[in-house]
Amino acid sequence: MKNGQIEGTILKTTSEKEKIKLPLVVTFLDSGSTRIQVDEEKRQKGDIELRHGSKVRKERYNEAAGWSLTGAGLQPQKLSKFDKGDKSTTVTWGSSNQFSVIITYAPFGIELFANDKKQVVLNERGFFNFEHWRPKVEKPVTEEGKDEDKKVEPLVPQEDESTWWEETFGGNTDTKPRGPESFSHVYGLPEHAGPLSLKQTRGRESNYDQPYRFFNADVFEYELDNPMTLYGAIPFMQAHNKDFTVGVFWLNAAETWVDIVKTQQGTTMGLGGHTDTQTHWFSESGVMDIFVMLTQSPKELSKKYAELTGYTAMPQMFAIAYHQCRWNYVSDEDVKDVDRKFDKHNIPYDVIWLDLEYTDDKQYFVWDQDNFPDPIGMEKQLDEHERKLVIIIDPHIKNKAGYQIVEELKSKDLAVKNKDGNFFEGWCWPGSSHWIDCFNPAAREWWKSLFPYNKMKGVQSNVWIWNDMNEPSVFNGPEVSMPRDNVHYGNWEHRDVHNLNGMTFHNATHHALVSRAKGESVRPFVLTRSFFAGSQRLGAMWTGDNQASWPHLAASIPMVLNQGVAGFPFAGADVGGFFGNPSKELQTRWYQAGAFYPFFRAHAHIDTRRREPYLLGEPYTEIMAQAVRLRYSLLPSWYTAFREAATEGVPIVRAQYYVHPHDEAGFDIDDQFYIGSTGLLVKPVVTEGGESVDIYLADDETYFDYSTYKTYSGAGKRHSVTAPLDKIPLLMQGGNIFARKDRARRSSGLMKFDPYTLVVVLGRDGRADGELYIDDGETYDFEHGGYIHRNFTFGDGSLKSQDVSSSVSTKDTKKKAAYLKTMDNVLVERIIIVNAPKSLEGKSEVKVTGQSSKSGGTASMSYHVAKDGNAAWAVIRNPAVKIGADWSIDLGVNTDAKGEL
Amino acid sequence: MLLRPEVLGALLYAVSSVEAADAKSAESGRPRGVGPEFAKFYKTSDNFFSCISNPSQRIPFSQVNDDYCDCPDGSDEPGTAACSYLTPYSYPQPHLRPGSNLTPENETLALPGFYCKNKGHVPAYIRFENVNDGVCDYDVCCDGSDEYAGVGGVKCEDRCAAIGKEWKKQEEVRQKAQQRALKKRKELQFEADRRRTELKDKIEAGKIRVQGFERRIVEAEENLKEVERREKLRLVKSDAQGKGRGRLGVLLNLAKDRTAELRGALMKVKKQREDMVARVSELEALLSELKETYNPNFNDAGVKKAVQGWEDYAARESTDTWTDAEDRDLTEIAKEDGSESGVNWAEFEGSESEQAASDAAAIYSLTSYLPGPLQNWLGSTMSSLRQILIDNGVLPDNTIHANLDDSAAVKEARKSRDDSQRDLTDAQNELKHAEEDLTKDYGPNGIFRALKDQCTEGDFGEYKYSLCFMQKTTQQPKKGGGQTNMGSFTSFETEFTDDDLPSGGKGLGRGERVVMKYENGQHCWNGPARSTRVILACSENEEIWRVSESEKCVYRMEVGTAAVCGWEGSAREAEKGQASVKDEL
Repeated sequence: MKNGQIEGTILKTTSEKEKIKLPLVVTFLDSGSTRIQVDEEKRQKGDIELRHGSKVRKERYNEAAGWSLTGAGLQPQKLSKFDKGDKSTTVTWGSSNQFSVIITYAPFGIELFANDKKQVVLNERGFFNFEHWRPKVEKPVTEEGKDEDKKVEPLVPQEDESTWWEETFGGNTDTKPRGPESFSHVYGLPEHAGPLSLKQTRGRESNYDQPYRFFNADVFEYELDNPMTLYGAIPFMQAHNKDFTVGVFWLNAAETWVDIVKTQQGTTMGLGGHTDTQTHWFSESGVMDIFVMLTQSPKELSKKYAELTGYTAMPQMFAIAYHQCRWNYVSDEDVKDVDRKFDKHNIPYDVIWLDLEYTDDKQYFVWDQDNFPDPIGMEKQLDEHERKLVIIIDPHIKNKAGYQIVEELKSKDLAVKNKDGNFFEGWCWPGSSHWIDCFNPAAREWWKSLFPYNKMKGVQSNVWIWNDMNEPSVFNGPEVSMPRDNVHYGNWEHRDVHNLNGMTFHNATHHALVSRAKGESVRPFVLTRSFFAGSQRLGAMWTGDNQASWPHLAASIPMVLNQGVAGFPFAGADVGGFFGNPSKELQTRWYQAGAFYPFFRAHAHIDTRRREPYLLGEPYTEIMAQAVRLRYSLLPSWYTAFREAATEGVPIVRAQYYVHPHDEAGFDIDDQFYIGSTGLLVKPVVTEGGESVDIYLADDETYFDYSTYKTYSGAGKRHSVTAPLDKIPLLMQGGNIFARKDRARRSSGLMKFDPYTLVVVLGRDGRADGELYIDDGETYDFEHGGYIHRNFTFGDGSLKSQDVSSSVSTKDTKKKAAYLKTMDNVLVERIIIVNAPKSLEGKSEVKVTGQSSKSGGTASMSYHVAKDGNAAWAVIRNPAVKIGADWSIDLGVNTDAKGEL
Repeated sequence: MLLRPEVLGALLYAVSSVEAADAKSAESGRPRGVGPEFAKFYKTSDNFFSCISNPSQRIPFSQVNDDYCDCPDGSDEPGTAACSYLTPYSYPQPHLRPGSNLTPENETLALPGFYCKNKGHVPAYIRFENVNDGVCDYDVCCDGSDEYAGVGGVKCEDRCAAIGKEWKKQEEVRQKAQQRALKKRKELQFEADRRRTELKDKIEAGKIRVQGFERRIVEAEENLKEVERREKLRLVKSDAQGKGRGRLGVLLNLAKDRTAELRGALMKVKKQREDMVARVSELEALLSELKETYNPNFNDAGVKKAVQGWEDYAARESTDTWTDAEDRDLTEIAKEDGSESGVNWAEFEGSESEQAASDAAAIYSLTSYLPGPLQNWLGSTMSSLRQILIDNGVLPDNTIHANLDDSAAVKEARKSRDDSQRDLTDAQNELKHAEEDLTKDYGPNGIFRALKDQCTEGDFGEYKYSLCFMQKTTQQPKKGGGQTNMGSFTSFETEFTDDDLPSGGKGLGRGERVVMKYENGQHCWNGPARSTRVILACSENEEIWRVSESEKCVYRMEVGTAAVCGWEGSAREAEKGQASVKDEL
């Protein structure tokens, strides 16, 4: 025991009475989290023989942490107490000694406590197994089935040779974190197309016949409500009850399975029953590296997890606006035409996308000269209205003589190898291809060298990148991916690093875009399909190739919510559905839902009909335009939510349990959600012919319909909200203030200097608060003080704006001042007070103190009485206060509520 | 840059030059962004402004253009973007109806937009959404007045002088081109009318020809009958010479001919079968190669279905096989008849006379006992009698056809009749086509009659496209490969287009346009049959401006032609009405 770490050895007794040494390190972190690492001594020392003279590494793969973790939050805590006994060791630490861990020796087990309550038990049932290395006993060839895709019987590893060797499970790692009594809900483990609250995969009550699986794959027409693997993997799970939230992060990039079993305890006579949740994790290879985080709320857990794996990269403003995509816009003229049509129909959009077909013969970095003779002209037209272009670049490089990129890839030796040490050759969109090996630092450097404007033809600064097929998708490979015995940089086998592969490519592109020209310092945008824990630092993801069907629309919501739970919240699904033609109603409803995805992009398969929103005709076009414009008006609040994700690790859209962690009745709800900390609660209509939805309200606050101010209240109940096709069920929770921009523009970039509307939704106590974060929306100046962060509070008859930006170093003061100067003319044009108290009736003037663009120190106010179940509201007309300055608006009456409602 | 009023979109329209002249005089008196036709609303005597659509709502005049939206119709902010959210495209909220309390009022914007004076050019309205957004929208506001606030440091200098000059120049060019196009259209119309007249003349002539042929047929029939009668008489006489042309001989000839005919047909079928077998083998080879080389993960439902179908097909037992022996039999059958193979007709021909004798036994055997002269007499009398009986329908006429075939005169007469028949059919068909052609829709005023089958080509992307008026559209890859039919002409339609006109005017612009529909082209892999919508706008020459494949195998061609110059939707309606009147006549 030293420096906050316990080192020890687990002895595994095998059937041959031989003892296998498994070195163990338990680290007690500053944050109160515990890290448990187990390796295998023989392999650490390289004391094994590889068959067939293989050159691959002898160690277990131990570099996943290097990719996934940022390095922060790993400092061990100085222990306050260490008690080594005969049968167990107890460690206690934390600011108030609230954390303790008991390690039992035989059998090996760990129990974790917070506030003296047992939270997690590892290896309770003695399932721990570490499949150690053994020499292969050669058998007749006929029995050497090399079927790598064969499903493995989970749980107890068998001593049957065929399982542990030839079937690739050469090193199972196995443990079982288990919640204490009454963790009946577990969340996380994206990416799977199922409910937010994870289902049982074993046992009598099991919902699925297989565990949740992680093996990133290009899944064709994925099934819903299914634990099958999808494109990305984040092996992070939250167990939640009304008092605690426990996180388990299983840091392993090999194929991984997670079994979930829930058992009812003590339900005799139907009294005092509770549910235990047991999970069982196993990975194909690699070292075991687990983080267990004990916290008291989902928010606290998000912060701890983000500290380890990183925060959402703050995107440019355009990235959270509306994206128009299709496989494919077929020519530069086509793109320009769609661009003009959006303007003609007065529908804002920020980004238009080009799928594969812009390339010459599927050669990335080379434009199809016939159909895109003038890409720069196209980009310039987009730039006139501050719009962007995103083009696709995938990791497969066409294997074609004379194609400069592939020739460089090969001559510089930067491609993934097969088991024989030759360049791996597989089949993808371009036909025969090689794959860049982004585990290789030299490959990443080379990749970087391809993107500068003077190198990459036909691209200017408003062009960004989309990384697809990075699981990697190999059309003729096992499970549409690479053979597991392919070899990556450092002689690691593909099996060890598979789930990291997508992130390494995303990472390479992200860094390649950070600086494409000297002096340019703008935030890159890269969309990825494949991801791993840590990908949130690099850009956005989408849920892959969904279908134009109502169930897929419904499924997109828990999927997007779950991304937030697992720390990668910049997520969305293809609006409209990728495969198939949506009905006009479905497409319209999808726009209404998609306007509330953090990543809002419409996309369609090449075989589908054109479906740009202006093509549908009325009333559909108008309703979709309203949804898009609603997104644009709320961009200030979305941006603030992104800021919170970027600094606190919290989700951008938040599930019911996340916002109301003490309300057990909401733990299963995954079809309604809140936007950041705005108090905006939305429940998109996801059924055909839907006329209303039931929104569940957890708290006592009054909620107000966004478009009528109709009131809803009553905790723990469902409330019917009418929702004809032109209506989005969207409520505002009392007690919140959020910011909007009501002027419609052609793109978010053109809204930069428009004035704000503040919506003050008074709670039952007549008070409200909220935040607004603003920066230039494109550069990194915000890291040097170039931003505005305000806190608005309403109470005691006045609304105040206060600075909550953190102090900046003297070096950065200039940048801060410069930014404030550019925003000097940006004002609040309107303040809407929803649920305005009666005391305001008759008041026509309010007092304005602080920086305002006009003199006089007053603004007029109008009051609108409550009627027909709709709340009263007031509007303060053009107070003209500066958005970046301190000010207060005094209403001259006491507004604190005395239960008027 | 060519600026056209059409580019301004639905909300924006240009103001006529008369109004522009007005603007000068009233300029100083109007608030920013107000067009001359709305000036009257902004004259105040009491320092109050009445919202245009809601005059009861009055606000202090100081609130006009104060960058805050007060009027439900936005009329208090003619010069700012403050009321830009007043559109049905904004998500409804109470405050978006200023001055109202959740009661719907007239929220339609009272103004068409922000008025750009564009001195030196044509005044225009720009959308409120585009006012003070940091973009110089020179295509509408050449004077840069839409960005007077300098948002984000933007400065839009007045470019009207240059733009106006360029526009005037372009306008002149355009006017000239327009005039040339209209002249061209006149020529086309003249040509179309000429062709129509020609067609009508042709129809008249055709009718007369048909009558002529009909008459000729009657004559030919009569002539044939007469010749046949004559020949029959002659034949009966010669028949009596006993030259072995009995019923069996006739049968023999018939059988021989029939066999030859059947053999010919068989050989044709065999050839066809062999061709088909070759084609099936080629197809099967293609499909098995597809099965070998396709990628099961390549997300293409069509390919997967094709492979699945092939596997099912290949697995099925086929009943259409044949053996070599069967094939040899067939070859044997196919050989010419002769002593070596098939039927040796010569053997049968040898015994012809005997057959003939027995054929006539009923009458002739008796006569063999009589002396020669008597026999002759009896023979000729009997023949005459038989002929009379045949002519009167008492005896069947067994010999006529076989025997008359040999008669050159009958042949001649029949040929003459058949020729006449064929001439008649041809003439009737020609007439029918001509009549159909006359009533066929050739577009407005039938003008496309002038362009019928005329083709024009254009290179777009990786293809060379061709449009043949009233006929078909095709594409051909530049890199080589065959022509693909993108549809055959089916009918005319109209469509309302709303496109910006590019400089040079080669575009559809805004308005009702004539559309030619081409359908049922070559089938797409995994898609529909190709089809093309050809949308026509006025230009001097026939040319393809733009081709786009908006969806898989659904093409849209924007084409310029003089044929539609000066055409208006309503004119077409009128023309249609006229056409139907004509039809009734």
